[in-house]
Amino acid sequence: MAVGTTAGTTISNTATASYDDPGGNQVSVPSNTVDIVVDELLDVTVATADAGDIVVTPGSINRVLSFTVTNTGNGSEAFRLTPNAAVGGDQFDPTTTSIVLDTNGNGVYDAGIDTVYTQGTNDPVLASDASIRVFVLSSIPAGQNDNDRGIVELTAAATTGTGAPGTTFAGQGQGGGNAVVGSTGADGTDSGRYIVQNATISFAKSAVVADPFGGTTSVPGSIITYRLIATISGSGTLTNAAISDAIPTGTTYQNGSITLEGTTLTDAADGDTGSFASNAITVGLGSVSGGQTRTVTFRVRIN
Amino acid sequence: MLKLLLAFMALVAPATAFATDSVALSSMVFVEKTISDADGKAKTTLHEPKVVTPGDRLIFIVNYQNRGAAVARNFVVTNPLPNAVAYQGTADAAAEVSIDGGKIWGALAALKVADGANRWRSARPEDVTHVRWTMKQAIPVGAQGKLSFRGIVR
Repeated sequence: MAVGTTAGTTISNTATASYDDPGGNQVSVPSNTVDIVVDELLDVTVATADAGDIVVTPGSINRVLSFTVTNTGNGSEAFRLTPNAAVGGDQFDPTTTSIVLDTNGNGVYDAGIDTVYTQGTNDPVLASDASIRVFVLSSIPAGQNDNDRGIVELTAAATTGTGAPGTTFAGQGQGGGNAVVGSTGADGTDSGRYIVQNATISFAKSAVVADPFGGTTSVPGSIITYRLIATISGSGTLTNAAISDAIPTGTTYQNGSITLEGTTLTDAADGDTGSFASNAITVGLGSVSGGQTRTVTFRVRIN
Repeated sequence: MLKLLLAFMALVAPATAFATDSVALSSMVFVEKTISDADGKAKTTLHEPKVVTPGDRLIFIVNYQNRGAAVARNFVVTNPLPNAVAYQGTADAAAEVSIDGGKIWGALAALKVADGANRWRSARPEDVTHVRWTMKQAIPVGAQGKLSFRGIVR
Protein backbone atom coordinates (compact mmCIF):
# COMPACT_ATOMS: atom_id res chain seq x y z
CA MET A 1 0.00 0.00 0.00
CA ALA A 2 2.96 2.23 -0.42
CA VAL A 3 1.21 4.32 -3.00
CA GLY A 4 -2.21 4.59 -1.44
CA THR A 5 -5.67 3.21 -1.58
CA THR A 6 -6.47 1.32 -4.78
CA ALA A 7 -8.34 3.36 -7.36
CA GLY A 8 -12.05 2.63 -7.40
CA THR A 9 -12.25 1.82 -3.68
CA THR A 10 -15.36 3.25 -2.02
CA ILE A 11 -14.86 5.00 1.31
CA SER A 12 -18.07 4.50 3.32
CA ASN A 13 -18.56 6.37 6.56
CA THR A 14 -21.34 5.73 9.08
CA ALA A 15 -21.46 6.96 12.67
CA THR A 16 -23.58 5.35 15.40
CA ALA A 17 -25.10 6.88 18.50
CA SER A 18 -26.27 4.94 21.50
CA TYR A 19 -28.09 6.19 24.57
CA ASP A 20 -30.49 5.14 27.26
CA ASP A 21 -34.12 6.09 26.99
CA PRO A 22 -36.18 7.02 30.08
CA GLY A 23 -37.10 3.36 30.52
CA GLY A 24 -33.41 2.45 30.84
CA ASN A 25 -33.33 0.67 27.50
CA GLN A 26 -30.30 1.20 25.29
CA VAL A 27 -31.17 2.66 21.90
CA SER A 28 -28.80 2.60 18.95
CA VAL A 29 -29.12 4.99 16.03
CA PRO A 30 -27.04 4.90 12.84
CA SER A 31 -26.31 7.98 10.81
CA ASN A 32 -26.66 8.17 7.08
CA THR A 33 -23.76 6.62 5.13
CA VAL A 34 -21.50 8.84 3.09
CA ASP A 35 -19.85 7.09 0.11
CA ILE A 36 -16.84 8.56 -1.65
CA VAL A 37 -14.94 6.84 -4.45
CA VAL A 38 -11.14 6.96 -4.57
CA ASP A 39 -9.95 8.28 -7.92
CA GLU A 40 -6.99 6.97 -9.85
CA LEU A 41 -3.83 8.97 -9.34
CA LEU A 42 -1.51 8.88 -12.35
CA ASP A 43 2.08 8.81 -11.17
CA VAL A 44 5.26 7.24 -12.50
CA THR A 45 8.98 7.37 -11.81
CA VAL A 46 11.93 6.43 -14.01
CA ALA A 47 15.34 5.71 -12.50
CA THR A 48 18.56 4.52 -14.05
CA ALA A 49 19.44 1.00 -12.93
CA ASP A 50 23.10 1.30 -13.88
CA ALA A 51 25.63 1.61 -11.08
CA GLY A 52 27.69 4.02 -13.12
CA ASP A 53 28.60 5.02 -16.66
CA ILE A 54 28.42 2.20 -19.19
CA VAL A 55 31.87 1.73 -20.75
CA VAL A 56 31.84 1.52 -24.54
CA THR A 57 34.29 1.58 -27.42
CA PRO A 58 33.88 3.74 -30.54
CA GLY A 59 31.77 2.07 -33.23
CA SER A 60 30.27 -0.53 -30.91
CA ILE A 61 26.59 -1.50 -31.23
CA ASN A 62 23.77 -2.68 -28.96
CA ARG A 63 25.28 -1.09 -25.86
CA VAL A 64 22.74 -1.46 -23.04
CA LEU A 65 21.47 1.16 -20.61
CA SER A 66 19.10 -0.10 -17.89
CA PHE A 67 16.20 1.79 -16.35
CA THR A 68 13.49 0.99 -13.81
CA VAL A 69 9.99 2.32 -14.52
CA THR A 70 7.69 2.26 -11.47
CA ASN A 71 3.94 2.94 -11.32
CA THR A 72 3.68 5.08 -8.19
CA GLY A 73 -0.01 5.74 -8.80
CA ASN A 74 -2.85 3.78 -7.21
CA GLY A 75 -4.28 2.06 -10.26
CA SER A 76 -3.22 -0.13 -13.16
CA GLU A 77 -1.84 1.99 -16.00
CA ALA A 78 -0.02 1.64 -19.33
CA PHE A 79 3.06 3.75 -19.90
CA ARG A 80 4.49 5.08 -23.16
CA LEU A 81 8.29 4.98 -23.35
CA THR A 82 10.33 7.53 -25.29
CA PRO A 83 14.13 7.72 -25.53
CA ASN A 84 15.97 10.96 -26.21
CA ALA A 85 19.67 11.00 -27.08
CA ALA A 86 19.73 14.67 -28.10
CA VAL A 87 20.46 16.04 -24.65
CA GLY A 88 23.11 18.51 -23.62
CA GLY A 89 26.02 18.07 -21.27
CA ASP A 90 27.72 15.33 -23.24
CA GLN A 91 30.22 14.97 -26.08
CA PHE A 92 28.20 12.80 -28.46
CA ASP A 93 24.69 11.57 -29.20
CA PRO A 94 24.40 7.78 -29.11
CA THR A 95 22.10 6.35 -31.79
CA THR A 96 19.25 4.60 -29.98
CA THR A 97 18.43 1.46 -31.95
CA SER A 98 15.80 -0.22 -29.77
CA ILE A 99 14.03 -0.31 -26.43
CA VAL A 100 13.61 -3.74 -24.87
CA LEU A 101 11.32 -4.79 -22.01
CA ASP A 102 12.75 -7.21 -19.45
CA THR A 103 9.93 -9.67 -20.05
CA ASN A 104 11.62 -12.54 -18.23
CA GLY A 105 12.12 -10.27 -15.23
CA ASN A 106 15.73 -11.24 -14.51
CA GLY A 107 16.98 -7.65 -14.60
CA VAL A 108 19.49 -8.42 -17.35
CA TYR A 109 19.19 -7.81 -21.08
CA ASP A 110 18.73 -11.12 -22.90
CA ALA A 111 18.98 -10.69 -26.66
CA GLY A 112 16.23 -12.57 -28.49
CA ILE A 113 14.41 -13.44 -25.25
CA ASP A 114 13.31 -10.08 -23.86
CA THR A 115 10.62 -8.34 -25.92
CA VAL A 116 11.42 -5.42 -28.19
CA TYR A 117 9.21 -2.44 -27.37
CA THR A 118 7.12 -0.62 -29.96
CA GLN A 119 5.43 2.56 -28.82
CA GLY A 120 1.64 2.26 -28.86
CA THR A 121 1.78 -1.50 -29.45
CA ASN A 122 3.13 -3.03 -26.26
CA ASP A 123 3.20 -0.12 -23.84
CA PRO A 124 3.93 -1.88 -20.53
CA VAL A 125 0.91 -2.09 -18.23
CA LEU A 126 1.93 -1.83 -14.59
CA ALA A 127 -0.23 -2.52 -11.55
CA SER A 128 -0.10 -0.01 -8.74
CA ASP A 129 3.37 -0.08 -7.14
CA ALA A 130 4.72 -2.48 -9.80
CA SER A 131 7.84 -1.76 -11.81
CA ILE A 132 9.54 -3.04 -14.93
CA ARG A 133 13.15 -3.01 -16.10
CA VAL A 134 13.61 -1.34 -19.48
CA PHE A 135 16.73 -1.56 -21.63
CA VAL A 136 17.77 1.12 -24.12
CA LEU A 137 20.18 -0.16 -26.79
CA SER A 138 22.40 2.27 -28.65
CA SER A 139 25.18 2.39 -31.21
CA ILE A 140 28.25 4.43 -30.39
CA PRO A 141 29.58 6.61 -33.23
CA ALA A 142 32.97 5.60 -34.58
CA GLY A 143 35.71 8.14 -34.04
CA GLN A 144 34.69 9.20 -30.53
CA ASN A 145 37.62 10.04 -28.32
CA ASP A 146 38.67 8.52 -25.06
CA ASN A 147 36.49 9.69 -22.12
CA ASP A 148 33.77 11.17 -24.37
CA ARG A 149 30.38 10.82 -22.71
CA GLY A 150 26.97 10.26 -24.35
CA ILE A 151 23.70 10.64 -22.44
CA VAL A 152 20.34 9.04 -23.28
CA GLU A 153 17.15 9.98 -21.44
CA LEU A 154 14.20 7.64 -21.05
CA THR A 155 10.75 9.10 -20.41
CA ALA A 156 7.71 7.11 -19.30
CA ALA A 157 4.30 8.79 -19.58
CA ALA A 158 0.87 7.53 -18.50
CA THR A 159 -1.13 6.72 -21.64
CA THR A 160 -4.29 8.10 -20.04
CA GLY A 161 -2.63 11.48 -20.07
CA THR A 162 -0.10 13.78 -18.45
CA GLY A 163 -0.12 17.37 -17.33
CA ALA A 164 0.03 19.61 -14.31
CA PRO A 165 -0.75 17.83 -11.02
CA GLY A 166 -4.50 17.88 -10.50
CA THR A 167 -5.36 17.64 -14.21
CA THR A 168 -8.44 15.40 -14.38
CA PHE A 169 -9.46 12.91 -17.05
CA ALA A 170 -13.15 12.37 -16.29
CA GLY A 171 -14.32 8.77 -16.08
CA GLN A 172 -10.96 7.36 -17.21
CA GLY A 173 -9.79 6.12 -13.83
CA GLN A 174 -9.65 2.50 -12.76
CA GLY A 175 -12.95 1.50 -11.17
CA GLY A 176 -14.94 4.09 -13.07
CA GLY A 177 -13.78 7.18 -11.22
CA ASN A 178 -11.69 9.93 -12.66
CA ALA A 179 -8.01 9.70 -13.46
CA VAL A 180 -6.13 12.55 -11.81
CA VAL A 181 -2.55 13.56 -12.58
CA GLY A 182 -0.46 13.16 -9.42
CA SER A 183 2.56 15.01 -8.13
CA THR A 184 4.88 13.52 -10.77
CA GLY A 185 2.85 15.02 -13.62
CA ALA A 186 2.13 11.42 -14.71
CA ASP A 187 5.49 11.22 -16.42
CA GLY A 188 9.04 10.61 -15.33
CA THR A 189 12.50 10.84 -16.88
CA ASP A 190 15.99 9.78 -15.97
CA SER A 191 19.22 9.58 -17.92
CA GLY A 192 21.76 6.86 -18.51
CA ARG A 193 25.33 7.54 -19.55
CA TYR A 194 27.83 5.92 -21.86
CA ILE A 195 31.52 6.69 -21.55
CA VAL A 196 34.02 5.91 -24.27
CA GLN A 197 37.16 4.16 -23.14
CA ASN A 198 39.64 3.84 -25.91
CA ALA A 199 43.32 2.87 -26.09
CA THR A 200 45.91 3.63 -28.75
CA ILE A 201 49.36 2.20 -29.27
CA SER A 202 52.50 3.94 -30.50
CA PHE A 203 55.96 2.62 -31.18
CA ALA A 204 59.52 3.88 -30.76
CA LYS A 205 62.32 1.88 -32.37
CA SER A 206 66.01 2.29 -31.62
CA ALA A 207 69.13 0.34 -32.57
CA VAL A 208 72.49 -0.26 -30.92
CA VAL A 209 75.41 -1.55 -33.05
CA ALA A 210 78.31 -3.58 -31.71
CA ASP A 211 81.14 -4.34 -34.20
CA PRO A 212 83.49 -7.32 -33.84
CA PHE A 213 86.26 -5.00 -32.65
CA GLY A 214 84.49 -3.66 -29.57
CA GLY A 215 83.36 -0.51 -31.40
CA THR A 216 80.03 0.70 -32.80
CA THR A 217 80.68 0.75 -36.56
CA SER A 218 78.28 -0.94 -38.96
CA VAL A 219 80.45 -3.46 -40.76
CA PRO A 220 79.79 -7.04 -41.85
CA GLY A 221 79.70 -9.11 -38.70
CA SER A 222 78.42 -6.25 -36.52
CA ILE A 223 75.47 -7.14 -34.27
CA ILE A 224 72.51 -4.74 -34.24
CA THR A 225 70.24 -4.89 -31.22
CA TYR A 226 66.82 -3.42 -32.05
CA ARG A 227 64.63 -2.12 -29.22
CA LEU A 228 60.87 -1.62 -29.82
CA ILE A 229 58.97 0.26 -27.13
CA ALA A 230 55.19 0.07 -27.44
CA THR A 231 53.33 2.74 -25.44
CA ILE A 232 49.61 2.15 -24.81
CA SER A 233 47.67 5.30 -23.91
CA GLY A 234 44.05 6.11 -23.07
CA SER A 235 41.65 4.83 -20.42
CA GLY A 236 40.72 1.68 -22.33
CA THR A 237 42.40 -1.65 -22.93
CA LEU A 238 43.97 -3.01 -26.09
CA THR A 239 43.11 -6.64 -26.61
CA ASN A 240 45.18 -9.09 -28.65
CA ALA A 241 47.85 -6.49 -29.30
CA ALA A 242 50.95 -7.82 -31.07
CA ILE A 243 54.24 -6.39 -32.28
CA SER A 244 55.71 -7.55 -35.59
CA ASP A 245 58.93 -6.42 -37.23
CA ALA A 246 60.56 -7.63 -40.42
CA ILE A 247 64.28 -8.44 -40.40
CA PRO A 248 66.07 -5.75 -42.48
CA THR A 249 67.50 -6.73 -45.84
CA GLY A 250 71.22 -7.54 -45.64
CA THR A 251 71.01 -8.80 -42.10
CA THR A 252 70.45 -12.18 -40.50
CA TYR A 253 68.27 -12.81 -37.47
CA GLN A 254 70.15 -14.14 -34.46
CA ASN A 255 68.31 -17.23 -33.24
CA GLY A 256 66.79 -17.06 -29.77
CA SER A 257 67.36 -13.32 -29.41
CA ILE A 258 63.75 -12.14 -28.83
CA THR A 259 63.04 -10.67 -25.39
CA LEU A 260 59.86 -9.20 -23.94
CA GLU A 261 60.30 -7.04 -20.83
CA GLY A 262 63.80 -8.50 -20.47
CA THR A 263 62.65 -12.15 -20.63
CA THR A 264 63.93 -14.29 -23.47
CA LEU A 265 61.30 -15.90 -25.70
CA THR A 266 61.78 -18.89 -28.00
CA ASP A 267 61.62 -18.60 -31.77
CA ALA A 268 59.05 -21.40 -32.16
CA ALA A 269 55.31 -20.69 -32.26
CA ASP A 270 54.78 -22.40 -28.92
CA GLY A 271 53.80 -21.69 -25.35
CA ASP A 272 55.43 -18.28 -25.11
CA THR A 273 54.24 -15.31 -27.12
CA GLY A 274 57.37 -14.82 -29.23
CA SER A 275 58.07 -16.36 -32.63
CA PHE A 276 60.30 -15.97 -35.67
CA ALA A 277 58.80 -16.89 -39.05
CA SER A 278 58.88 -15.62 -42.64
CA ASN A 279 61.92 -13.51 -41.74
CA ALA A 280 59.98 -11.46 -39.18
CA ILE A 281 59.64 -11.53 -35.43
CA THR A 282 56.23 -11.39 -33.74
CA VAL A 283 55.49 -10.89 -30.04
CA GLY A 284 51.96 -11.11 -28.71
CA LEU A 285 51.19 -8.67 -25.92
CA GLY A 286 47.74 -9.97 -24.92
CA SER A 287 45.51 -7.39 -23.21
CA VAL A 288 47.25 -4.21 -22.19
CA SER A 289 45.51 -1.31 -20.47
CA GLY A 290 46.31 2.32 -21.12
CA GLY A 291 49.29 3.86 -19.36
CA GLN A 292 51.58 0.84 -19.78
CA THR A 293 54.56 0.11 -22.03
CA ARG A 294 56.00 -3.10 -23.46
CA THR A 295 59.61 -3.40 -24.55
CA VAL A 296 60.70 -5.98 -27.13
CA THR A 297 64.30 -6.53 -28.27
CA PHE A 298 65.91 -8.76 -30.90
CA ARG A 299 69.30 -9.01 -32.59
CA VAL A 300 70.49 -9.29 -36.19
CA ARG A 301 73.98 -9.64 -37.75
CA ILE A 302 75.09 -7.56 -40.71
CA ASN A 303 75.96 -9.88 -43.61
CA MET B 1 -50.76 5.94 -8.52
CA LEU B 2 -47.25 4.54 -8.91
CA LYS B 3 -45.94 7.95 -9.82
CA LEU B 4 -47.59 9.44 -6.79
CA LEU B 5 -46.12 6.75 -4.53
CA LEU B 6 -42.59 7.35 -5.86
CA ALA B 7 -42.94 11.05 -5.29
CA PHE B 8 -44.09 10.39 -1.76
CA MET B 9 -41.17 8.06 -1.08
CA ALA B 10 -38.70 10.56 -2.40
CA LEU B 11 -40.11 13.07 -0.01
CA VAL B 12 -39.83 10.91 3.09
CA ALA B 13 -36.75 8.83 2.36
CA PRO B 14 -34.09 11.26 3.55
CA ALA B 15 -35.98 11.85 6.79
CA THR B 16 -36.51 8.18 7.63
CA ALA B 17 -33.72 8.01 10.18
CA PHE B 18 -34.93 11.15 11.85
CA ALA B 19 -38.54 10.14 11.95
CA THR B 20 -38.23 6.75 13.60
CA ASP B 21 -35.64 7.56 16.26
CA SER B 22 -35.81 10.16 18.91
CA VAL B 23 -32.18 11.17 18.36
CA ALA B 24 -31.19 12.00 14.82
CA LEU B 25 -27.62 11.50 13.65
CA SER B 26 -26.21 12.72 10.36
CA SER B 27 -22.77 12.22 8.90
CA MET B 28 -21.03 14.53 6.46
CA VAL B 29 -17.57 14.31 4.91
CA PHE B 30 -15.77 17.29 3.46
CA VAL B 31 -12.51 17.44 1.57
CA GLU B 32 -10.15 20.27 2.38
CA LYS B 33 -8.21 21.70 -0.54
CA THR B 34 -5.63 24.42 -0.44
CA ILE B 35 -5.53 26.37 -3.66
CA SER B 36 -3.54 29.40 -4.70
CA ASP B 37 -5.68 32.30 -5.86
CA ALA B 38 -4.75 34.75 -8.61
CA ASP B 39 -2.60 36.77 -6.20
CA GLY B 40 -0.67 33.65 -5.18
CA LYS B 41 -2.27 33.58 -1.74
CA ALA B 42 -3.10 30.14 -0.40
CA LYS B 43 -6.78 29.65 0.25
CA THR B 44 -8.39 26.66 1.90
CA THR B 45 -11.71 25.47 0.57
CA LEU B 46 -14.11 22.82 1.81
CA HIS B 47 -16.50 20.88 -0.32
CA GLU B 48 -18.44 17.65 -0.22
CA PRO B 49 -16.66 15.36 -2.66
CA LYS B 50 -17.99 12.54 -4.77
CA VAL B 51 -14.43 11.37 -5.39
CA VAL B 52 -11.08 11.84 -3.70
CA THR B 53 -7.47 10.83 -4.32
CA PRO B 54 -4.89 9.41 -1.90
CA GLY B 55 -3.46 12.18 0.24
CA ASP B 56 -6.67 14.24 0.27
CA ARG B 57 -7.46 15.73 3.67
CA LEU B 58 -10.97 14.92 4.90
CA ILE B 59 -13.07 16.42 7.68
CA PHE B 60 -15.74 14.14 9.14
CA ILE B 61 -18.65 15.85 10.84
CA VAL B 62 -21.37 14.15 12.87
CA ASN B 63 -24.43 16.21 13.79
CA TYR B 64 -26.84 14.99 16.44
CA GLN B 65 -30.15 16.33 17.64
CA ASN B 66 -32.58 15.03 20.21
CA ARG B 67 -35.88 15.18 18.38
CA GLY B 68 -37.65 12.87 20.76
CA ALA B 69 -39.78 13.66 23.73
CA ALA B 70 -37.38 12.43 26.40
CA VAL B 71 -33.81 13.13 27.44
CA ALA B 72 -31.14 10.78 26.13
CA ARG B 73 -28.78 9.60 28.83
CA ASN B 74 -25.33 7.94 28.48
CA PHE B 75 -25.12 9.35 24.99
CA VAL B 76 -22.21 7.90 23.00
CA VAL B 77 -21.37 8.51 19.35
CA THR B 78 -19.01 6.06 17.68
CA ASN B 79 -17.48 6.48 14.21
CA PRO B 80 -15.46 3.56 12.84
CA LEU B 81 -12.80 4.79 10.42
CA PRO B 82 -13.16 3.55 6.87
CA ASN B 83 -10.16 1.34 6.00
CA ALA B 84 -8.93 3.77 3.41
CA VAL B 85 -8.81 6.68 5.85
CA ALA B 86 -5.97 7.41 8.28
CA TYR B 87 -7.07 9.27 11.43
CA GLN B 88 -5.56 12.71 11.79
CA GLY B 89 -6.93 13.78 15.15
CA THR B 90 -9.72 15.85 16.58
CA ALA B 91 -9.86 19.16 18.37
CA ASP B 92 -12.39 17.66 20.76
CA ALA B 93 -10.67 16.72 24.03
CA ALA B 94 -13.58 14.50 25.05
CA ALA B 95 -12.93 12.10 22.18
CA GLU B 96 -11.43 8.70 22.80
CA VAL B 97 -9.92 6.42 20.20
CA SER B 98 -9.43 2.71 19.76
CA ILE B 99 -6.70 1.01 17.81
CA ASP B 100 -8.06 -2.53 18.10
CA GLY B 101 -11.47 -2.37 16.51
CA GLY B 102 -13.26 -0.91 19.52
CA LYS B 103 -12.15 -3.21 22.35
CA ILE B 104 -9.84 -0.83 24.26
CA TRP B 105 -10.44 2.91 24.36
CA GLY B 106 -8.39 5.86 25.52
CA ALA B 107 -6.43 8.92 24.54
CA LEU B 108 -4.14 8.17 21.59
CA ALA B 109 -1.04 8.94 23.67
CA ALA B 110 -2.04 6.30 26.24
CA LEU B 111 -2.41 3.47 23.75
CA LYS B 112 0.36 1.05 22.80
CA VAL B 113 0.73 -1.20 19.77
CA ALA B 114 2.43 -4.59 19.88
CA ASP B 115 5.64 -4.30 17.91
CA GLY B 116 7.18 -7.75 17.86
CA ALA B 117 7.40 -10.14 20.79
CA ASN B 118 7.21 -8.33 24.14
CA ARG B 119 7.84 -4.98 22.51
CA TRP B 120 5.45 -2.09 22.37
CA ARG B 121 5.42 1.26 20.69
CA SER B 122 3.19 4.27 21.15
CA ALA B 123 0.13 4.24 18.93
CA ARG B 124 0.20 6.57 15.95
CA PRO B 125 -2.80 8.38 14.46
CA GLU B 126 -2.88 5.97 11.50
CA ASP B 127 -3.34 3.04 13.91
CA VAL B 128 -6.74 4.36 15.00
CA THR B 129 -9.69 2.18 13.99
CA HIS B 130 -12.53 3.95 15.85
CA VAL B 131 -13.21 7.31 17.40
CA ARG B 132 -15.96 7.94 19.95
CA TRP B 133 -17.42 10.69 22.08
CA THR B 134 -19.02 9.97 25.46
CA MET B 135 -21.30 12.72 26.75
CA LYS B 136 -21.17 13.16 30.50
CA GLN B 137 -24.43 15.01 30.50
CA ALA B 138 -27.74 13.79 29.17
CA ILE B 139 -28.98 15.31 25.92
CA PRO B 140 -32.12 17.33 26.68
CA VAL B 141 -35.04 17.35 24.31
CA GLY B 142 -34.31 19.58 21.34
CA ALA B 143 -30.59 19.90 22.07
CA GLN B 144 -28.12 19.45 19.24
CA GLY B 145 -24.39 19.34 18.72
CA LYS B 146 -21.62 18.78 16.27
CA LEU B 147 -18.63 16.44 16.50
CA SER B 148 -15.74 16.31 14.08
CA PHE B 149 -12.43 14.68 13.34
CA ARG B 150 -9.89 14.75 10.56
CA GLY B 151 -8.61 12.02 8.34
CA ILE B 152 -6.46 11.61 5.27
CA VAL B 153 -7.08 9.28 2.34
CA ARG B 154 -4.43 6.55 2.52
